[in-house]
Amino acid sequence: MEVSFNEEIASLKLGDGEVFHGEGILAITKALLQSGVAYIGGYQGAPVSHLLDVMVQARDYVSTLGVHVEACSNEASAAAMLGASIHYPLRGAVTWKSIVGTNVAADALANLSSPGVTGGTLIVVGEDYGEGASVVQERTHAFAMKSTMLLLDPRPDLGNMVDMVEHAFALSEASNMPAMMELRIRACHVRGSFVCKDNKKPAISTRALMQEPASFDYTKLAHPPVTFGHEKLKITERIPAAQRYILENNLNELHPGQYADVGIIVQGGLYNALIRSLQQFGAADAYGNTDIPLLVLNVCFPLVPDQIAAFAESKKAVLIIEEGAPEYIEHEIATALRRRDLQTALHGKDMLPAVGEVNAEVVMGALVKFFARHLSAVDVAPVQTMLNAAVARRNHSAIKLDAALPARPPGFCVGCPERPVFAALKMTQQELGPLHIAADIGCHSFATFAPFSFGHSILGYGMSLASRAGVSPMMQRRVLSIMGDGGFWHNGLLTGVQSALFNGDDAVLLIFKNGYTSATGTQEIISTPDAQIKSAVTDKLMSLTATNRTIENTLEGIGVKWIKTVHAYRVADMRQVLKEALTTEFSGLKVIIAEGECQLERQRRIRPWLASLLARGQRVVRVKYGVDEDVCNGDHACIRLSGCPTLTLKDNPDPLKVDPVATVIDGCVGCGLCGENAHAATLCPSFYRVEVIQNPRWYEQLVASMRSTMLRLLQPA
Amino acid sequence: MQQINSHTQPISLLICALGGEGGGVLTQWLVEVAHTAGYAAQSTSIPGVAQRTGATTYFIEVYPLPLAELGVRKPVFSLNPIPGALDAVISSELLETARCASNGLPSPERTLIISSNARTLTTTERSAIGDGRLDTAALLQIVQSACRAHHVFDMQAIAHQHGTIVSAVMLGAIAGCGLFPFPKDAYLKVVKQGGRGVAASVAGFEAAWQFMQQASVPLNQVQQLVRDIATASAAPSKFDHYPIEIHTMLKLAHARVSEYQNAAYGEVYLSRMAHVLKAEQQADSAASHAYAATNEMARWMGLWMAFDDIIRVAELKSRASRSSRVRQESKAQATDLLKVFDHFKPGMPEFAALLPLSIAKYLLAWDRKRVQRGAEPFALPLKLGSHTVMGMLALRSLAALKHVRKYGSRYREEQALITQWVDAVIAGLQEDWQLGYELALCGRLIKGYGTTNLRGKENLLHVMHHLAHPAFGIATARAAAIRLARDAALQDEAGSALDQTLIKLGAPARPVKEQPIRWIPRPKN
Repeated sequence: MEVSFNEEIASLKLGDGEVFHGEGILAITKALLQSGVAYIGGYQGAPVSHLLDVMVQARDYVSTLGVHVEACSNEASAAAMLGASIHYPLRGAVTWKSIVGTNVAADALANLSSPGVTGGTLIVVGEDYGEGASVVQERTHAFAMKSTMLLLDPRPDLGNMVDMVEHAFALSEASNMPAMMELRIRACHVRGSFVCKDNKKPAISTRALMQEPASFDYTKLAHPPVTFGHEKLKITERIPAAQRYILENNLNELHPGQYADVGIIVQGGLYNALIRSLQQFGAADAYGNTDIPLLVLNVCFPLVPDQIAAFAESKKAVLIIEEGAPEYIEHEIATALRRRDLQTALHGKDMLPAVGEVNAEVVMGALVKFFARHLSAVDVAPVQTMLNAAVARRNHSAIKLDAALPARPPGFCVGCPERPVFAALKMTQQELGPLHIAADIGCHSFATFAPFSFGHSILGYGMSLASRAGVSPMMQRRVLSIMGDGGFWHNGLLTGVQSALFNGDDAVLLIFKNGYTSATGTQEIISTPDAQIKSAVTDKLMSLTATNRTIENTLEGIGVKWIKTVHAYRVADMRQVLKEALTTEFSGLKVIIAEGECQLERQRRIRPWLASLLARGQRVVRVKYGVDEDVCNGDHACIRLSGCPTLTLKDNPDPLKVDPVATVIDGCVGCGLCGENAHAATLCPSFYRVEVIQNPRWYEQLVASMRSTMLRLLQPA
Repeated sequence: MQQINSHTQPISLLICALGGEGGGVLTQWLVEVAHTAGYAAQSTSIPGVAQRTGATTYFIEVYPLPLAELGVRKPVFSLNPIPGALDAVISSELLETARCASNGLPSPERTLIISSNARTLTTTERSAIGDGRLDTAALLQIVQSACRAHHVFDMQAIAHQHGTIVSAVMLGAIAGCGLFPFPKDAYLKVVKQGGRGVAASVAGFEAAWQFMQQASVPLNQVQQLVRDIATASAAPSKFDHYPIEIHTMLKLAHARVSEYQNAAYGEVYLSRMAHVLKAEQQADSAASHAYAATNEMARWMGLWMAFDDIIRVAELKSRASRSSRVRQESKAQATDLLKVFDHFKPGMPEFAALLPLSIAKYLLAWDRKRVQRGAEPFALPLKLGSHTVMGMLALRSLAALKHVRKYGSRYREEQALITQWVDAVIAGLQEDWQLGYELALCGRLIKGYGTTNLRGKENLLHVMHHLAHPAFGIATARAAAIRLARDAALQDEAGSALDQTLIKLGAPARPVKEQPIRWIPRPKN
């Protein structure tokens, strides 16, 4: 990865008493080191990518602490890594995006949770839920319950988050349960500060090795018959031990308030939204002092029924602020109250919306209902007016707008090597007819948006080839599966390729070999070009993805007989190979590898290099495409085949014509797609490619001056 | 300023940006400025995969009491804005501002909106066949009605002018509007701590700051698109007997047509227009429509008569003015050398167009047979270096073919179609002004090259044959049908909207085109 995290690494080194300033996820990373973690692993994904990205670059520093860092091949591999803490008193942490990553890791997590852990283990999950989320909307909570893992949901204040990381390890050790900490998107990116402690070197580490393995202990295996005992242990010993720790260390926070006969129980992560909402009623001040008693659950599983009962028993009503469905916390509290025969009125999802992110507006709505019913001392009218006004404004705007404003989803970067492949696919379908396209997770899923709108299903990361196994036997035309190199290594090789080969399936797989897992943040993978090759190459403009043949070798090794590699930017070639794969007599698995380096990463690589050449006065060629405004026909077919952000529209400079013309704006990286499309799709002849030669050589200048003299004679005004 | 007590709430700012525009940098700057100035602040964001050009927001809150006065008390900040309790919105793109304004978060009582009026068009706007761009004035109206005050200016232009990124300009605007209790020096100090491009960032910051100082006078936000009306070259006497309302269009189009071929061709244009004008004067003797039909005919017939062919493209691409435009658009320095390669892919129809009908027919038949055999149609993909002497010679030679253009098959075909269309418009006007007018507007269907151009002509012919035909119904019904069909024809390339509209109107859909069938082996079971 070409991004440098030097500043972040410096913050990781801060010592006792120094103040950390930065994002939540980096604070968590620092907290891991302060907790004496011995190993860290994970699989990147928003919003927790930063944790592992920074750690991978900080390997040199953390190795001085004896900490091992592993960039795992997927979440299952990360979860399995936690197995180190079953026998050994090693603190370990892994991270991934949830819910999807937790799904992938589920098998290892269940087999970790059954024997339980000796050393504290923490899974930092990015709870990708609500506004800005990019995955299916489910909560991690269910996994914690089903495998009996701890679930922390810290109040999003950096100091508290850091404390909770340290407690999570201790809690995990006290209860033998693995701990999960869920961090919502905004909590990961929250910028704040906390006072640091020194980083702690683990007792057993890469610098203080264990001499002997643990002695054989059948009870540490997730294997019958001990699994029956584990199940019992979870309920009779581990959960009670965890509950004791939670109570003794006050992990859940009790905030007193003057209106003692009502109360609110809130997930830690939703605390700020609650306080800001209470402020609108005048029921809390700027510093979080509240008139309503609160129980803030920094630990959402297991709950401590005695604590809940003690909070609720003297109250006539309690409101539970919980995100998502089903409302597990509310169910558990209802059971706890019922079993104790407490008559406190219980509210939650009867006042909050059943699904979706719980933001301040949603909480305000629930509080209006709760106070109106149970606390007449608080005047709900001003807040009700505020909420009504917001609804009225929205309705008013909706009426004023004829149609909804056009969405602006993420799209391919300028010069992305995937765009030309989809242009070729569009042309292929114009010729062969529409195809069933099994899509996948990754940047290429942006092809599901305009102007391509390709993809019938997305079944998970690396699942596209597997997800067509039931479709292609039923379909007259061949089915196309699309996968990135990230998805291929994450899962696709085994679930897709192996299965298709074993079953002798007639399938077509298109792999984007751009050298990185790009959508997750351009992390390196096993097929990334070697760093030595990158630094040794003299012309850094060259795509280097071809230098790493791990994907090709793997496919050949596993027995794929039909593999074609095509340069991603050669649109006509790509269309030809797609047509061939879709129509050939060969009936086995056909793999097309579209090769072209991730442009984001390429630009990060070449920009400093080009700047250094220019600074030294050396020759640099910059390529840009353009559209002749008087030749453009205003039909915009070029845009429908590209969607590149730098290929856009401007007013027609010709007063006779009414439709806007296409134009290429600054930012064009000269990838060549416009020219390729102009030829492959026979677009209008308005495109030109211009090569700007900076610091030209003397003979180039000579030729150019001779040319310009001649051209002046030939050209009319 | 309201009195600060324990119920004082933080000052909140929502930042709307597009991925990759530096919204993250701006947010970080603001938190650091607060820190430098001694105030508690918190920011958060939902970047997700929005770095790939999608829309995203950042949210920041600052507590208005200095840290020194807070002591051990720590304000609790929110992670998302509260509708109606948002103090300010700053946005680098007008549609995103309008999106924010329409989601109810800003309020007319409390919120200040600072927005760029620059547009980054969405893919759906860009990919429409005609003009799919949103109306800027409508977006501005939404913004204006959603806030207590607003400042709208071109942030991108300021950023561009000072060679910096838009986030520096946004920071200057935030500093200049006085939302936060930070001194200007605190902002500048943070900007100056940055690594590269500090001078440019400071310049962009200062420019926006200055703008905000002067922005108390409301600006004329709705920018009128002032079109540069070119002065026509023809002598005024020619146009004296045309009504003044259509002079601009007529002169422009006449000049275009004359320059395209020659003065005689310009005369052909005027004589065709004279017939149209006469028909309109008869249909609308009171000129209640201000000669709108003639005006539209002046435009569309001018464009059609100057149809695009290889000769025209070579002419346009070989002008000196074009070379200087390319240099300007590529932002090349005076010392840089330019190599310009033009992408052409003429096919058999383009070559045949230049040849007499007898030869053209033979060549086109040969090409059709090729396609029937399953081969690609004949085409010559060219990358012509127009910066070279040979490249320019080739272009000029092609442009010189202008003198033999009228012997080519395409020229004849176009003239015949134009005559047919003009006759239909005249007949329409004679029957009912509206019918003629709608037919005149159908000139919009004709544009472009190759298949785009062919499709347009077929659509026009189909509309003329079926919807303009007296058998279809009374004149007003025909006019309405033609309008619907025309709008539908501009909706999608394949013409499926047009076909659906035609069927709904009770007219036949366009005939199905023959297309070679490809057999794909059935996957084995």
